[in-house]
Amino acid sequence: MTAAATRTGGWGIRLAPYLFLLPNMVIFAVFTIYPALNGFNMSLYSSSNGRVFAWEGLGNYERILTSGEFWGVVRNTAVFATSYVVLGTVLAIVISVLINAQRRGRTLFRAVYFVPVLVSPVVVGLIWNWMLDRQNGLVNNALSTTGIPPVPWLVDGAWGMVSIVAVGMWMQVGFYMLILLAGLQSIDPTLYEAARMDGAGAWDQFRVITIPMLQPTIVVVVVLATIHGFQSFDFIWTLTGGGPVGATTLMVQYIYENGFQSPIRYGIATAGGVLLFLVVFTLTLANWLISRRREAV
Amino acid sequence: MATRQLRALAGIALGSVALLTASCAPGELEGESSGEQEVQELAPEDFAGLTLQYLYFTDGPDEQATRDLIAEFEEQYDVTVELEVLPYADLVTSTLNRLSSGNPPDVVRLTSLTDFRDDLLVLDPYLGDDYRDEFLPGPVSGAINAEDQLVAVPSDLTMNGPFVNVDLFEEAGVDVPDEWTWGEMIDAAQEVQDATGVPYAFAMDKSGHRLSTVLSEYGTQLVDSGGNALDIDKAEAALRPLVDLMADDDMPRDFWLGSGTRYEGANEIFLAGETPIYLSGNWQVGQFAGEATFDWAAAPNPCAEECGGFPGGKYMASFADAENPALAAEFIRFMNDAEHQEEFVSVSGQLPTRTDLSANGVTYTDEAAQAAMDTFLADLAVTPESGFEANGNPAFSPSADALVEEVSAVVDGQKELRPALEDLSEQIDVLVEETSS
Repeated sequence: MTAAATRTGGWGIRLAPYLFLLPNMVIFAVFTIYPALNGFNMSLYSSSNGRVFAWEGLGNYERILTSGEFWGVVRNTAVFATSYVVLGTVLAIVISVLINAQRRGRTLFRAVYFVPVLVSPVVVGLIWNWMLDRQNGLVNNALSTTGIPPVPWLVDGAWGMVSIVAVGMWMQVGFYMLILLAGLQSIDPTLYEAARMDGAGAWDQFRVITIPMLQPTIVVVVVLATIHGFQSFDFIWTLTGGGPVGATTLMVQYIYENGFQSPIRYGIATAGGVLLFLVVFTLTLANWLISRRREAV
Repeated sequence: MATRQLRALAGIALGSVALLTASCAPGELEGESSGEQEVQELAPEDFAGLTLQYLYFTDGPDEQATRDLIAEFEEQYDVTVELEVLPYADLVTSTLNRLSSGNPPDVVRLTSLTDFRDDLLVLDPYLGDDYRDEFLPGPVSGAINAEDQLVAVPSDLTMNGPFVNVDLFEEAGVDVPDEWTWGEMIDAAQEVQDATGVPYAFAMDKSGHRLSTVLSEYGTQLVDSGGNALDIDKAEAALRPLVDLMADDDMPRDFWLGSGTRYEGANEIFLAGETPIYLSGNWQVGQFAGEATFDWAAAPNPCAEECGGFPGGKYMASFADAENPALAAEFIRFMNDAEHQEEFVSVSGQLPTRTDLSANGVTYTDEAAQAAMDTFLADLAVTPESGFEANGNPAFSPSADALVEEVSAVVDGQKELRPALEDLSEQIDVLVEETSS
């Protein structure tokens, strides 16, 4: 045994953590890293059956980026993701602050808001498809009692977008609320006590203590909401099918339709997947860098 | 520290990508061939002990009929048939995945050969060059490849056509004629709607295949062997009544717009008694026979320039790389001889593809369905060959989807009908080129 090995406790000790991590890393490499890299590789070819490939180089990217349909999908995705992230985060903060202020029933409210997270997105889409039906839906029936005429929730482009944002938020806001609630409960209560003694009102406490102290948690929620927003598909597929006339077709549906519906275009689908990855990765990285800079300040 | 980590991460990612792309294509490169299939000639007893995999999707009652026939085949040939029933939505993807992994099923039931045409087993050496003559020319035309080889066997046939709510017609005092034009059918539907107060005059599935019924009757198709076959004038004449009906909500507009690119069947609207006429196809007969709470009937397709409906159906096929091609071909022959195909279609409520069965008619197990199936069978005889040709064309399915999107844009008020059809025609040109390359 060498002196260096003796000093550090031997190769066995040094290797042990990596050996413990190895099984998970192998699974991660086989089922995540390899498919992702292979997806990038496939985006450079065209194929209609996943077996015979023709070299395209950047042809698939060129085809996508010069397609009007793609930019329509990008616009829809940007509108949805931005609305979903901003409104979802604000709503989650409001709900978590309100629940945190409750002395009684906090667990009940937390559970009630979290339940939609547990429901399958496909089922969420189907339920809301029924509830938002213009003629027979529960929502319009309820609105009609107040004299409001039927709203075309699912058959008008703008209302369709409103519907998928609202349903997406309903489905996930409980999850974000739970993360924020944990952040709120980690804030030292003496800070509020001191603020109150200095005469700070509720709004000032929220603005000067809650938001700054909650910022790291908010960053996590924004990152998660961004990923969820850009990856949304399943509940939208059963809610609107991307309609009417493509008004709620987002990036993942575009990828799905190219990859799994005739004529199958694996190259276009994977190129779309790579572009989506680049967007989400860039936004996540930017978020992380901004939060690090603020922490440094 | 963070910058170093990022650089390392980026380096590893770029290195991996470069290695992967430089080293190999993700599969077989175009031009490479997996080799010719050697044809084996085997006597029936040589199959004994073999196992055959049959990848299947079900429309309902056909599954038990298939299981019964498989039991008969297993006993007769002393083989094992593993029936794998998949949801229809997973069929193409699952089959492609199995082909990619070198484990194709021996036999598969398909509605379209488009995604598999280059991989299918040529059946002529096993079944004989004259075997195709046992089947109706229309369905067979979709099972022939570019080299005039039989690569699938049409196992059952569907025919689009209208159903009528007989109770509503009687209540309105309107007769269902033995033949009618599109104009007469819509007039009758609106008369019944006005007299009975039902929400709609007419409903149809949200499907390019169903819209193709109307196109076919007005003398045009989306595609034919020459490529784009859309006659815009005829298509405009065909679709104008439907667009006008939806504009007035006499045909359910929300139903059409509210499901995006998803297929939607309007059978629930018909079963709820909300429309006197519903355009769908013979596969609804079983459900209506069991669930309709009113008297219903299949009516003849309305005529315009042409009569008849628009065909569809299923094929049984095997793959060139299948483990037991000879057994697969023998199984396909067994399932589609006159005796067994009649057994299958009579239980499952489908139309036969065999010439003899089509000529002699089929006795269906459900008496209530017999009249409806006879109506569909009669329409089959007057359906133009161009409908079969269109339905078997690789570009048909995506062109039909494009048709639905363009009609949706018109219904939504985003486009006028004619410009929408001109856009559709351009899309069909692109799709024909893509699917033929």
